[in-house]
Amino acid sequence: MESLNYNQPTEPQEPEYQAPYQQPAVGTPTTPLHASTMPSSPGAPNGARVPSRRRFMSKTAAGIAALAGLGAAAAVGGAALEQWIQGGGLSNIFHDPLASEAQIGHLLRRAGFGATPDELTMYRNLGFSGAVDRLLNYQQVSDDAMESRLNALNLDLNLPVDQQRWWLLRMAWTQRPLVEKMTLFWHGVLTSAFTKVGGKTAYMRMIIQNNFLRAHAFDTFDNIMLGITSDPAMLFYLDLTKSHKTAPNENYAREMMELFTIGLGNYSQRDVSEGAAALTGWHIRGLTSYYNLNDHNNLTKVYLGHTGNLDYKDVINILVNNPATPWFIARKLFTYFVYENPSSDDLKPLVDAYTQSGHNMGAVMRALLLSPQFSSAQAYRSRVKSPVEFTVGAYRALGIQGNGTGLPQITTLMGQTLFNPPNVAGWPGDKVSSLWLNSGTWMTRLNYIDLLLLLGAAARGDSASPIDLQAIVDSNKIASPDQFVDYFSSFLYDGVLDSSRRSQLINYFTASGAGRSATQVTLTNGQSYPINHARGTLYLMMTAPEYHLN
Amino acid sequence: MKLSRRAMIKNGMLVVSAGMVMPAIFSRGVASAMAQSLDGSHIAQTATDRTLIVVQMAGGNDGLNTVVPYTDPLYIKLRPTLGISQSKVLTLDTRLGLHPNLSPLKKLWDDGHLAIVEGVGYPNQSLSHFQAMDIWQTLDLTGNGSEGWLGKLVSGLVDQQGHPFKSLDIGVQTAQALQSISAQVPTVASVKSYSVAPDPADSDGGNARLQALLNLYNAYPKTAPYAALLDTTALSAQDGSRQLRQADATYHPAATYPNGPFAAGLKILAEAIVQDLGLRVGYVTLGGFDTHANEQATHDNLMTTLANGLSAFYNDLAAHSKADNVVVMTWSEFGRRVEENGSQGTDHGTAAPMFVLGNPINKGIFGEPSSLSDLDPNGNLKYTVDFRSVYATVLDRWMGASSKDVLGADYGSQNFLPQ
Repeated sequence: MESLNYNQPTEPQEPEYQAPYQQPAVGTPTTPLHASTMPSSPGAPNGARVPSRRRFMSKTAAGIAALAGLGAAAAVGGAALEQWIQGGGLSNIFHDPLASEAQIGHLLRRAGFGATPDELTMYRNLGFSGAVDRLLNYQQVSDDAMESRLNALNLDLNLPVDQQRWWLLRMAWTQRPLVEKMTLFWHGVLTSAFTKVGGKTAYMRMIIQNNFLRAHAFDTFDNIMLGITSDPAMLFYLDLTKSHKTAPNENYAREMMELFTIGLGNYSQRDVSEGAAALTGWHIRGLTSYYNLNDHNNLTKVYLGHTGNLDYKDVINILVNNPATPWFIARKLFTYFVYENPSSDDLKPLVDAYTQSGHNMGAVMRALLLSPQFSSAQAYRSRVKSPVEFTVGAYRALGIQGNGTGLPQITTLMGQTLFNPPNVAGWPGDKVSSLWLNSGTWMTRLNYIDLLLLLGAAARGDSASPIDLQAIVDSNKIASPDQFVDYFSSFLYDGVLDSSRRSQLINYFTASGAGRSATQVTLTNGQSYPINHARGTLYLMMTAPEYHLN
Repeated sequence: MKLSRRAMIKNGMLVVSAGMVMPAIFSRGVASAMAQSLDGSHIAQTATDRTLIVVQMAGGNDGLNTVVPYTDPLYIKLRPTLGISQSKVLTLDTRLGLHPNLSPLKKLWDDGHLAIVEGVGYPNQSLSHFQAMDIWQTLDLTGNGSEGWLGKLVSGLVDQQGHPFKSLDIGVQTAQALQSISAQVPTVASVKSYSVAPDPADSDGGNARLQALLNLYNAYPKTAPYAALLDTTALSAQDGSRQLRQADATYHPAATYPNGPFAAGLKILAEAIVQDLGLRVGYVTLGGFDTHANEQATHDNLMTTLANGLSAFYNDLAAHSKADNVVVMTWSEFGRRVEENGSQGTDHGTAAPMFVLGNPINKGIFGEPSSLSDLDPNGNLKYTVDFRSVYATVLDRWMGASSKDVLGADYGSQNFLPQ
C-alpha cells in the first residue's frame, strides 16, 4: 500500500527497529494500570422511559401501519417535527430543543456511528438518559458477536491495512459505539502513526496502543497520561525511547504539553528541556515498555514552577493538575462531540466534572452528553462527518455484511487513514470539520456510496451484486415510493426532511430520467419500478448535503 | 426552482455544457469571486500565464544539513555525528554546499536555475510545528489566522469563466495556505479518483442522477451550516473533474518521474501546466522532516525524494517548452536546532534556507547567513530574512500581484527574481 503521506511531519520511514524480545502481548494494555473505574450510573435499568413518539421505523405491524397510513409530516416522527415542517421545514430545524427522535439519532451519530432502524428503536425505548447510560456503561453490553465476526476474518494485525479494516469493522459492528468513538477521539489526540512506530516488525504496537486507549477511554486522565507516556508506540513515535539521562530528547516533552495537556502559551522552552530530563528512563523491549531507573536523569529540574528530582510520574501529576488542562481537554471534547468554537460557559460544566470526579473522563463525558448544549439545535448537523464517520456510518446504517476490504483505501482518499494521522496534532478535521471537505474528498464520498449500493454484497465474498433492495422492501413492507423515501429518511436523516426535498426524491424514484433498468423492484402494493431508480434514490439521500453532516 | 443548465456524463466524465445557466447555488462561489476580480480592488494583478508551484516540506527541514555551511568550524563541532563533511557536500561556493543527495538540484544550480535564500524566519518563534505552520500559511504571527496567503491570491485570480484550475492542491486535504473565504481550491489526490462514478444500470450514463443531486444541493437552505462550503465544493468538483480527465487522456510526460506520492503530485501539476488548464498556483507537500532521532537515514531519503521529484518536474516542463513559465518555491515551518541531540537527531529550530528554482530566477545565494556563533538562548539561529519578503518577491516580481494587497504591508524584496 502506498501511503498518501502528504502532510506527515514525522518520519515516513525509519530504519527497521529490531525488536529484541518479541512477546505476544497483543491485545493487552502495556502498563500495569488497573481497569477503568466508571462513574456509577444513576440511570436505573428498569426506569427506562418509554418514548412518547411513535416508533416509525419499526418493523412491527403497528409501526408499518403508522408508516403506511401517514404522510410526509408524520413519517418524520413526532409532533415537534411535524411542527417544524409546518412552520417552514428545514429552515426551522435549528431551534431548540431537538425533538426526541432527532435527539436519539443525533446522540447515536455523535456518540457512535449512526444506527440501523432496530438500534434506533432500542435506544429510543431507553429514553435519552437511559441511552446515555447504556453508551457509557458499555461493559454491561456484550460485544461477543462482533468479536467472533472479526475473528472469523483472520486478519493479520501486523499489517496496517488489516489493522484499519479491523478497527473500521469494529466501529461498524459494535454494540458499544461510544467506547469505539471515544477511542477514535483519543487516537486523534494522543496519537501515533504506524509509519513511525519502529518498522514492520513493530506495527503491532499500534494495536497495543489502540487497545490501551479503548480499555482506558473513560479512565482518569492521570491513568491515561501514565499509560500513553509508557506506551511502546508512543515511546517510539515521539522519540522518548531515544531519550537518555545525559541526552534528553525534547520531542515528547514538548508535544505532551502543547498537544496533550495544557496547550501553547502555558509553558516555556525551559519547561520543555527540563521536562525532557524528567521524563528520561522509559524504553521499549519488543512489544512492551520498561522503566530503567539507571537511565533516569536524577538532577534537580525546574518544571512549570515545581523543583526537585522530578520523574515522569511527577511530570504527569503536575500536568493533570495544571489549571489549564481541564479547559484544554474540555475544549477538545466539546469541539469533537458537540460543536466548534465553544464558549467558556459551554466548557465550565465539563471542567467542573473533571475536577470534582478526580479527573475521570467518564464523568466528563456524562456531563457533556447530558448537557443542554449537546442536544441543542446549535449542535444538530453542526459538523461535517469525518471520513471514518461517513464510511462506517453508511456501512452500519445499511447493515452491510462485508469484510471491509476496500474501506481503508476509501477513507484514505477521503483524507483519513486510521493509525496514520497526518502529524502529532492528529487530524485537522477533528478540530475544524469543514477541512474534511474539498472537491476530491467530496467525489470520493459520492463514489463510495455508489460502490456500496452496487457492490455492497460483493465485499461479503459473494459475486458482485447490488444491495438487496427487494429484501428491504419486503421486510419493511414498503408499499409506495413515498414510503421508500420515508423509511430511509427515518434512520439516515432522523426523519428531518422537508416536504419539497422529499418530493424531489420521490420524483426521482418514479420518473424515467435515468433510463429503465430491466431489473425491477416490486413494492408491496404490487407496483414495480426499475431497480436503478430505487437505488438512485437511496444514492441521492446518502450524497445530499444532509448526509455529509453529523 | 430555476434550473436551466444540464449536466451530463459522457464516458464516465461529468460534462457541464458551456453557456448554460448555472444553478444559483453553484454559481454563488464563482459569483463572489467574479465580483472581486471584476471590481479589481481585491488583488491587483496582471493577466499572465505564469505559474507558481509551492512545495511544503512538512515537519521542519534541517536547513543546516540541506544547504551546508561546510567550512564553519562551529557546524563541525556542534554536529559531531550528523555533520556533512566537506568531502561529501556538493560545493556551491567557498562557504556553502548542498546535501550530497541533492545532485539534481546542483545541476539546476550549474545551469543557472536555482536560487537559495538564507536565514529565513520571523520574530519570536515558539518552536511549535503547528503555530509555525499557521504563521507561514496565514501570515498571522499569533497563529490564529484562517485565510491563507495563497488563498487570498487565488480568490482574486478566479476569472470570469470561474476557471477551476487557477489553483490546484495535491493531496486529500487543502493546505491552509490555500484556504480562502471565496474560492474553493480543487484538491486532487490522483487523476483517477477525481471523477464521479455513474451507476452502470443508468442508461443515460448517470446524467439524471447527477442532475437530481445538483437539484438537492440547489434547494438546500442557504442559511444552514456548511451550505456554501458544500455548494462550492460540488462546483469545484464537477467543473474540474471533466477538464482534468480530458487533459490526462492526452498528456505524455517527457520525463521519468520517481515513484511515490510527491513525484506523482508534481506530475499532476506539470500536466495542468502543459495542458494549459490555466494553473497559476500549484501546491504539493512532502512530509516527514521532523527528525528528532536517527536523522541521517530519514533526511537522506527525503533529500533524494525532493531533488529527484523537482528535477523530473523541471525536465518535463522544459521538454514541453514550459520551463520559462514556472517558478518553484520550497518552504518548511522551521529549521532545526544547531547542536544535534543525543539521539542522532535534531530538535525544533528556527531560521532555514528556502529554494527558489526555475528558468526565470536569478541564480545565487540571497539573504544573509545566520551566525552559528550568535545563537538565541535556546541554541537556535537568529533569522536574518523575513519570510514575507520572499513571498513579496514572488508576488510582485513573478505573479504580477500586489504583495501589499496579499500580505497587508510592504515587506521589501529579495533579488532572486528580476525586477
